[in-house]
Amino acid sequence: MRENGKWIHIVEAGLAVTVLLLAAVMLRQKNGEDQKKVAVIMENSDGNHWAAFRYGLKMAAQDEGVELFIVSTGDTMTQEEEMEAIQQELDNGADAVIVQPVAGDSLGQELTKLEKKSSMMLVGSDLTIDPGTEALPCVQPDHAAMGRALAKEVLSDYRGDLSGKTVGIVRKAHEIQAMDSRLAGVEEGLENTGASIEWIISGALKNEPRVDLVLALDDSSLIAAGECAAANDLHGALVYGIGNSTEAAYGLDTGMVECLIVPDTFSEGYWSLVQIAESIKHPFRKRNSRTVPYTVLRREELFTKENQEILFTMSQ
Amino acid sequence: MRTKLKPKKLQSTIMAAFSVLSISILLVLGVMVYVRVSASSGQDMIRSTQKLMEQTGENLEDYLVSMRQISDAVYYNVIKENDLSNQENSIRQGMNLLYEANRSRLRSIAIYNPYGSLVAAEPVALQKEDPDVTKQDWFVKAMGDTANLHFSIPHIQNLFDDDTKRYYWVISLSRVVELTDQGVPFTGVLLVDMDDTGISRMMKKINESNHGQYYYLCDGSGQIIYHNRQVQISKGIAYENSEKTARYKDGVYDDTFEGERRKVIVNTISYTGWKLVGIIPEATFTHGMRDIGYFIAMLILLMAMMLAVINRVISDRISSPILKLQRSVMEYEAGEKPEIYIGGSLEIRQLGYSIQRSYEQIDALMHKIVVEQNERRKSELDALQSQINPHFLYNALDSITWMIEGERNDDAVFMISQLAKLFRISLSKGRTVIAVRDELQHAKSYMNIQKIRYKNHFTVVFEEDESVYDCCMVKLVLQPILENAINYGVGDMDGDGEIRVTGRQEDGTVILSVSDNGVGMTQEEVHLVLSDSSRIHKHGSGVGLVNVNNRIQILFGKEYGLSVESEPDEGTTVAIRIPAVPYTEENRKSLEKGRLFIASKVENKE
Repeated sequence: MRENGKWIHIVEAGLAVTVLLLAAVMLRQKNGEDQKKVAVIMENSDGNHWAAFRYGLKMAAQDEGVELFIVSTGDTMTQEEEMEAIQQELDNGADAVIVQPVAGDSLGQELTKLEKKSSMMLVGSDLTIDPGTEALPCVQPDHAAMGRALAKEVLSDYRGDLSGKTVGIVRKAHEIQAMDSRLAGVEEGLENTGASIEWIISGALKNEPRVDLVLALDDSSLIAAGECAAANDLHGALVYGIGNSTEAAYGLDTGMVECLIVPDTFSEGYWSLVQIAESIKHPFRKRNSRTVPYTVLRREELFTKENQEILFTMSQ
Repeated sequence: MRTKLKPKKLQSTIMAAFSVLSISILLVLGVMVYVRVSASSGQDMIRSTQKLMEQTGENLEDYLVSMRQISDAVYYNVIKENDLSNQENSIRQGMNLLYEANRSRLRSIAIYNPYGSLVAAEPVALQKEDPDVTKQDWFVKAMGDTANLHFSIPHIQNLFDDDTKRYYWVISLSRVVELTDQGVPFTGVLLVDMDDTGISRMMKKINESNHGQYYYLCDGSGQIIYHNRQVQISKGIAYENSEKTARYKDGVYDDTFEGERRKVIVNTISYTGWKLVGIIPEATFTHGMRDIGYFIAMLILLMAMMLAVINRVISDRISSPILKLQRSVMEYEAGEKPEIYIGGSLEIRQLGYSIQRSYEQIDALMHKIVVEQNERRKSELDALQSQINPHFLYNALDSITWMIEGERNDDAVFMISQLAKLFRISLSKGRTVIAVRDELQHAKSYMNIQKIRYKNHFTVVFEEDESVYDCCMVKLVLQPILENAINYGVGDMDGDGEIRVTGRQEDGTVILSVSDNGVGMTQEEVHLVLSDSSRIHKHGSGVGLVNVNNRIQILFGKEYGLSVESEPDEGTTVAIRIPAVPYTEENRKSLEKGRLFIASKVENKE
């Protein structure tokens, strides 16, 4: 009898523990599982050129079931401001941060240090880091290839002969690696074509010496160049460029821009968030760098079905 | 090698049986409830999805009908009523009125001539440099099929430049219209572009309120018009089998896509042939049922806890009186001899009473057996004592001596031969049961010796039927009776004393009687002869009739034994009644082992 009593107490205790566990699981489900939070920090986050990127992030957040915070930032951001924003987001409970790196000498080292504490992902551009240190994973287009593609489009318009043609290159003010790669790609593409690069500038175009071709290496430079062309401030120079906003597409649509290279920023946003969300869910899964494609747009092909989808993501 | 299972205790067995039974019932009930609720919940989900889709379908149809109504209004109320040459303003005003009235939904209204040149547009905006509308899908379709109205799928409007540097997603409704210029009719194309956001908003709204199911819109060929993951699908990140689904008629279908089973609900939108598709993945059903599953599991566990306690109480209530009864029986068997437990339910009480009665009867029987054994032992001792009565032997030998001294050798030889017969039969190889013949021979030998000793003061007559000779008889029962007849009856008589020994068989009973014509006894004395075993015998071997009677009854049963009849001064008759059991070796052994014979058995034995 006594032995029976002992068993019944053990069974009752086991059943009670199972009931409590079930109740806890039910409560947890009712309250909803804690969603992981991912913060995104990029320069001029509200800019139109990030529209497709933001849409990509949003879609990925929806697919992966994570909470997305896009930090509102100003037109320009220094390395210190970016680091401060990252730290603030981590302090506010972000489980991971996606960063579009701004120019700065020590940003790579500092982000590498932070990476040890929480997940980090770069978008848009790589960072220079100390040799021997593992590079942070990055989702970006092949910038050099885009530069080469831009040069190739120029060449194709001139049937491969740019003899005597003068070229001006306009790019972002900040010395970030992506711009350097694009420039290197352009220079490589124009090598031995007869074209001479007259100037490479960051900023206003108005006062620059007259050239035959203006190549803009980023969205804001392209829009500015397009506007200058519309205002006849470029003295008839033809504009080619890399851009990812509806304004840039509009420049192409209205003939101010001859050719537009569009990086797939939707995929940039989508895959960066998917990768980091997966790394949060599976801490031992390695995050890999990923290269997203780009598209060459011409005015006459702007409204094809495929290109309408690019415009769709830019318009979100 | 077979392992012997240890016998389980009653309470454990009852508890285990109850527990297995109750858990089985609970599990079956739980599964049944889960399956039933699951099926019902699945049906509810499908019904609610269908209802939502019907509602959305109606909203979409209203939206498209309103487009059609605008197009009709422009055509029949504005274009047909005015001539382009002199009523251009009226046309513009009419178009403007309609545009303003539907501004929230409309992007633009435009009329083109058959060559693609803009005739009129509202709102007034700068046309793009060379939109080449003749190559645009809506224009081609309108011109290709002039009888119908054509709805396009959402696309970017590539007509006007409003200087906002933005691109608008529109759904175009195009139709061929008849224009009039200076009274000359010619065909043109009327285009009504409606903002796509209306449809997107509707679709987004129904896609927000779900738990895994989703809805998309595609045209009749499966081309996606709206999908939550439209860009992912176009980039090959996600997939949708819209082409297959577009071929379905309205209804609910089971479908497997990318290894996942799902329900597909299709609702066709009028005018356009578009399909509103609702997808409910199987995981959605199970997700919805997870909470109910947990709830049922929790309920089962709680009931199991309750049942465990109830089972224990019930099994305790059932087994406790049985265990108490068992303990009391064990204690009884261990010799502690407490009272047998009487308690619990009626059945257990009755069982207790029965056991108690059985034990009482066993006790009584045991006591009786002990008493009988003692009596048997005493009787046997008595018999032994009668065999070797030294006084009798001394007297007999004294008589022989006396005869030899008196040179009565023949008498001495007779005496010695009688004595030898007496002792041979007395010994009988240690047997207790002998044939009646031998018993009579023993009695005769004894009486011959006694007659010589008593100098023929009495006569002895033996009258026996031969039928009794071969019956079984307890050894040496006649001798004490004859001894009593001599000592208390005819011993002191002067020659006229007579002892008559008879033997006969009546109805399976052997009756041997010893009668004397001595002094006799009163009825009180007769009664004492067979009941008072403590009487002190004045004469003889000291073996009383009580003991003789006991010996007969131990062997043959209570219905047999001695009976005494006596009258003072008349004489005494002592009758021995025994069953007529044929004297065989088998019967002898049976009787000596103490087995009783009844009349029917006797017949069978014969």
